[in-house]
Amino acid sequence: MDRRAFFHFSCRSLLYATVLCLSPRSLWGATAIECAFEGQNCIQRGEYDKAVISLQEAVRLDPGNDWAYGLLGRAYHGQGKNAEALAAFREAVRLNPDDTYSRMMSEIIAQKPVPRLKKESKSASPLEKEAAEEEAKMFNRLQAEEGLRYQVQRVVIDAGHGGFDPGAVGKTGLKEKDITLDIAKYLQQKLEGTGKKQAFLTRTDDYFVPLAERTVIANQYRADLFISLHINANPKQDPSGSETYFCSEQASSKEAARVAATENAVSKYDQPLKKKEGYIDVEDILFRFERKLYWDESGKFAKRFQDGIKNNLPLQSRGIHSADFSVLRKARMPAILIETGFISNPRDEANLAKAEFRTQIAQAIAGGIL
Amino acid sequence: MSLIPMPVAELKALINKLRTFTKLCSEGMTLNILTHLLTVCLVFLFSAVVSWAADANSLIFQGADLHYRGNLEEAMASFQAAVKLEPRNEYAHNQLGIIYARKERFDDAFREFSLVASIDQQNTFALLWLGILNLQKNNLDKGYENFQKIIQADPDNADAYYYLGAIYNIRHNPAKAIEYLKKSRDADAKEADTHFRLGKAFRQVDMVKNAQLEYGRVLALNNSYSAARNEMGWLYYNAGDYAAAFAEWQMSLKTNPRDSDAIFSLARGYNEQAWKAYKKGNQQDASSYWKKVLTVDPENKAAKYYLGKQTK
Repeated sequence: MDRRAFFHFSCRSLLYATVLCLSPRSLWGATAIECAFEGQNCIQRGEYDKAVISLQEAVRLDPGNDWAYGLLGRAYHGQGKNAEALAAFREAVRLNPDDTYSRMMSEIIAQKPVPRLKKESKSASPLEKEAAEEEAKMFNRLQAEEGLRYQVQRVVIDAGHGGFDPGAVGKTGLKEKDITLDIAKYLQQKLEGTGKKQAFLTRTDDYFVPLAERTVIANQYRADLFISLHINANPKQDPSGSETYFCSEQASSKEAARVAATENAVSKYDQPLKKKEGYIDVEDILFRFERKLYWDESGKFAKRFQDGIKNNLPLQSRGIHSADFSVLRKARMPAILIETGFISNPRDEANLAKAEFRTQIAQAIAGGIL
Repeated sequence: MSLIPMPVAELKALINKLRTFTKLCSEGMTLNILTHLLTVCLVFLFSAVVSWAADANSLIFQGADLHYRGNLEEAMASFQAAVKLEPRNEYAHNQLGIIYARKERFDDAFREFSLVASIDQQNTFALLWLGILNLQKNNLDKGYENFQKIIQADPDNADAYYYLGAIYNIRHNPAKAIEYLKKSRDADAKEADTHFRLGKAFRQVDMVKNAQLEYGRVLALNNSYSAARNEMGWLYYNAGDYAAAFAEWQMSLKTNPRDSDAIFSLARGYNEQAWKAYKKGNQQDASSYWKKVLTVDPENKAAKYYLGKQTK
């Protein structure tokens, strides 16, 4: 045996001897179960330090022993080490979800502040490194605004109809799809011109986009506001003016309910959530809270847009209305539908045919955002 | 509350002890049967002790056990009896609060959590539920206040940071959402919902690498979290990697064939690619994409119309 091998052998022997001397196994020739019993006895005697040593040995020998983890939790708790106790009780519950005692103890401890256990540090993955670089670059841009005010940075503008669907058509042949696209483009220019807002269109040309995909586009860009532009029509020539719709649980009028019911006929994929009895889903509470806030904000935006149009354009105001529009409901942001005049009314049609009038509409809407 | 040295826990330990002893003496069949009989007797004794439980600790253990087993009515009765014996028992009141919330008796739940908070301002569990119930009542400011109180008492409380982050998420204030959700993630990295909301906040400010990282973490924790997969799809799509985006949405549909987000994201993506190909004069590709639209959304008006027009 060479000197190096002899040195290794001596060191190992010393190490094993030390471990054997310190280990309860060496004292009792113990298995994990026996160590756990010893730990339990120590707990009963109030010797928590000894109990922890025995029980740590027990879980080292048998990491799948939920009973030993439960006892370890009790021993730590006896020592006043709540973070360690919580971790042990949680591990016991993870191993055996029917362990009522450990589950209850973990809940009792977690009711109040528990110091955090030290985490193991690990090396960053390539994506984590890239993310950290990106975050460092973005740091200055991310100066947060305090307060709970709703913030709008990105707007998705939806030009109603398009392609084979002209929407309403006026007596002179003026088509709703062309007017809405024109106003949408003006509005985009106005918003982007400020350098503070980003605006996206659901369509940039004369093609058809199905209704359900329009709010998907808003979600695609994680927009803060969705504005759908439309022109009204009526079999009679008299009705004129603008009106604004937003989503709400209850329709503001019979007419609004009728309009919503017609539109909602298209949604067949979303079944109402079946609520499990005796089950509380906090994410569902958050979702409902979120939707209610978006609807409240939609109402505020609707009022601003309608006021802007009323005050700046020769268009009669027909007010704001609300109903449960499934298309607007799918948007994860405030969503508004604006009817900027009646193409069936000769005066409104004449106005809508003018480029200047369309820019004025865009300006009035932009005023409600900026 | 200190450690509960209740008889049931001791009995449980004894049962385990006997079972283990049986295992150790596997050769002794008679002993095994005897031990089994003893165990049955002890279990009987255990239930007898529990059913006659008169002290608060036993009632609390009984209530917790019934609650975990989903027996809300009996659990509620146990906790109600426990708080009569021990009116300041925070755990029992909190459990009653949860049971009331599960039974949609939100006002009663609110009363229980308020009582706990008045007994001890450090009971962050009660404060958290007060915050959640305030959100449930659409009371944003009060909910926000509850969560702020928690982080004053416990600067490591992952749940409070999560709800504060979620509130800013909902107010479309991504910078503040990121600030709080990162704290929540750092306190508890095992919550998929935290990573998901953080991913959304990062996407809102175009921090795509960070968003990708967080959605990836969601999926590592829960592979069937299709909302994260759908968001990941948009990250790829907006970066021009359409194949990867379509693969993510298709994967979501495998998890849930009626996932409307995945259906309409795919329809939107295919329709847009079809339209681009059509404008370039590449009829074959356009047709292929429109056909794909119809495989996921057979009633899609755009795909039906343009395909029909092509065949004419």
